[in-house]
Amino acid sequence: MPDKQNGRGLPVIAQVALVFAGAYLLLRFSVQPPIPSSVLGMYMFFVGVSLMLFVSSDDDRFAEFKRPLIQLLTAREHKVPRLVLGTVFPLLVAYLGYAGAHTEIAPPGQQRTVHPAPPNEIDFKGKRIDVLTAENPFRHLAEEEPEAFREHVARGKDVYYRNCVFCHGDNLEGDGLYAHGLSPIPANLADPGTIAQLQESYLFWRIAKGGPGLPVEGTPWDSAMPAWEKFLDEDEIWEVILFLYDFTDQHPRSWEE
Amino acid sequence: MMRGAKGGIGIIELLAITAGSIVVGAAAGAADLEAGRALYDDKCAQCHGLSGEGDGVAADALDPRPRDFTSGSFKIRTTPSGELPTDPDLASIIERGMPYTGMPAWDFLGDEAIANLVAYIQTFNEDFADPEMRVDPVEIPSPPAMTEESVEKGRQVFVENKCGECHGDQGRGDGESAPTLMTDAGIPIRPADMTKRWTFRGGSSRSDIYRTFTTGLDGTPMPSYADSIDEEQRWQLVDYVYSLSEDEPGYGSVVVAQPVEGPLSLDPGDGSFANAPVTRFPMLGQVTDPGRAFAPAVNAVEVRAVYNDEEVALLVSWHDIAGRREGSNRPNGRDAAPADAALSDAVAVQLPSKHGGTKPYMFYGDPANSVDLWFYEAGANEARVYLGRGEENLAPAPAGGDEIRAKGVYEDGRWQVVFVAPRGSGDAQRVPQETFVPIAFSVWSGLARESGNRRAISSWYHLYLAPPDTGEAYKAAGMMGLGALVAELLVVASVRRSQAGGQS
Ligand code: HEC
Ligand code: HEC
Repeated sequence: MPDKQNGRGLPVIAQVALVFAGAYLLLRFSVQPPIPSSVLGMYMFFVGVSLMLFVSSDDDRFAEFKRPLIQLLTAREHKVPRLVLGTVFPLLVAYLGYAGAHTEIAPPGQQRTVHPAPPNEIDFKGKRIDVLTAENPFRHLAEEEPEAFREHVARGKDVYYRNCVFCHGDNLEGDGLYAHGLSPIPANLADPGTIAQLQESYLFWRIAKGGPGLPVEGTPWDSAMPAWEKFLDEDEIWEVILFLYDFTDQHPRSWEE
Repeated sequence: MMRGAKGGIGIIELLAITAGSIVVGAAAGAADLEAGRALYDDKCAQCHGLSGEGDGVAADALDPRPRDFTSGSFKIRTTPSGELPTDPDLASIIERGMPYTGMPAWDFLGDEAIANLVAYIQTFNEDFADPEMRVDPVEIPSPPAMTEESVEKGRQVFVENKCGECHGDQGRGDGESAPTLMTDAGIPIRPADMTKRWTFRGGSSRSDIYRTFTTGLDGTPMPSYADSIDEEQRWQLVDYVYSLSEDEPGYGSVVVAQPVEGPLSLDPGDGSFANAPVTRFPMLGQVTDPGRAFAPAVNAVEVRAVYNDEEVALLVSWHDIAGRREGSNRPNGRDAAPADAALSDAVAVQLPSKHGGTKPYMFYGDPANSVDLWFYEAGANEARVYLGRGEENLAPAPAGGDEIRAKGVYEDGRWQVVFVAPRGSGDAQRVPQETFVPIAFSVWSGLARESGNRRAISSWYHLYLAPPDTGEAYKAAGMMGLGALVAELLVVASVRRSQAGGQS
């Protein structure tokens, strides 16, 4: 019997192994988000079955595929590899059995909406503030009185470094001194996905009412974000909001946009 | 939307400055002071102050305080004690930051910007400009291999040089003189806890540790041993210090309680705890409610737990440089304790009062969802139970609180407090098996004058009573391994038979 009967260089068994390994690597590493291992196992099972169907669909191919296997299992000169394989295989299966039954103890994941819908209005120290329409009283100064505007930004900066820096960090990236012990972690305010997506009035609500002011979908019980109405007055909150946008070079979202 | 002219600098300008300084630096071979100033005013002045005196707006809330650059005194140097640091010393500490202090790592600024900052902060002290004041760094040889023998000998060097007088016999920072130590500026300072290498200000590699006690940390009581310990012994000492700590804190999120037979013990040394896994949780300053603690004394707790049918026992341990039993303490209140009141150490475990309901707010619960607080006060050496419906609404538990017992032991810089509590049953079920029960911790250091809201806190984590290990995993392994072996033998046998048949 000619050795490379199908004329394509590689022995059939090597081809099968290559395709199988290639499929595994592709599914494992190139798909985002990663496929869960149980699903991956299922896919690989189908890949295996298809390969077997392909191999056995042609008698010659099947014979060629089987030949090295049969040799391994029977030929006298393959005794050592046979023994090695014969020991390793059950051990591997035993390990898989162990790993399957031995699960890590990890708490169930928790659903959390990062920017939940705000209430329509809040009560800020006895004053009604409309969370949908309230405007930053200092924002218009940016064009009209740039110098006064810079002063408000500077005051906001002071507020930030006296109060917020411990969690939200020096560069506003949510990596302050205490961030490693908090879950949810402090918001990364420099990320274009946070304050740039929000209106200033929304920030006012989040800052004034903090974690306890969140609706249930925002998991208020886990949030260490203080209700800043306990510490700051209204102007200070609007000023620190100016600073957040200024420092990160972002703009609040507005209804006109 | 239009934006006004800006006095500060934003990202774009920063990039421009950085890019510009690369060009300038490359052309002139010197740092760009103006760029350094702009960057400093934007990023550093809020802590270090506009004039470098360490008095920025954030400074008062930081302990250790931001460096006063006018003093010319720096902690992390390769130069001998009392000398100015080299430029690379400054660049490296700016780039790496100082762990567990307010000084963050600025590596993202890039080398050129950092070089400009180094040049600029040197303008705050005129000695930097005087070449005579600039000395050569001491040589830090590359570390020899660390061996068991070097660690053992290092222990002797540690004892002979009395490192323990400040750092404590076991290196937990609890030396005899620890509570009295002050910085040059007269602010109390805690000796480093050598069992937590990750908190070392100047880095945790063996070379970093070598540098620390070779040149000392200026401005602090940590001396230089350049003249008293020879090089070989210094590496042995490094190895001993290094051996006291794990590489990483490895903070966890679940306390896994192990089942035990018989009654639960209040003795932390009880053998049953030895088989329970330890979980370490980070502790943070309570900065959410008024009475804020910006720099709490304790930065982690370690927890183990065991349980039987009726009760659960928690062993909570943490390091503090002194164990205070005098006086009393309290879990709630925004005001600082009166200056003349003796404050004892304390720890609290917090769980939801009701199992399975909505999770209560992490800071002592909320009006709708209350928490039980098991408060151990070292002064009384017992637990009191509080019911919390919020920071301002924490009161002694109405009834049934006294069945929770606690005892604490302080030794060699470590508190170990054991709580034993009934697991409850029926409606009063507190800690059911195989359920993730929310749990959180608070710690008060009497020495650091912490009480009420001024304390170290943890986030919510979980307590999980693991079922007895019936060896399921091993059984599965055995069955599947055996199955595979049998299948294998069958295949071999059948192949051989068919081959033999085919040949005959
Ligand atoms: C949030 C506050 C904060 C900011 C912002 C900050 N630092 Fe610091 N810095 C500190 C603190 C706190 C220390 C002292 C830490 C210690 O003593 O362990 C310190 C120490 C230093 C030291 C002294 C290191 C030594 O060996 O003694 C240098 C240098 C330094 N900072 C440079 C900078 C520069 C440059 C910037 C701006 C890019 C900056 N810092 C921004 C808080 C800050
Ligand atoms: C007089 C008290 C004192 C003595 C004696 C002393 N230390 Fe220290 N050591 C300190 C203090 C205080 C600190 C903390 C400095 C800080 O946080 O800035 C410290 C910090 C350290 C650090 C951590 C450095 C860092 O980067 O944060 C190491 C390591 C250290 N000491 C080793 C030693 C060794 C080894 C000895 C004995 C040869 C020794 N110390 C003797 C007071 C002392």
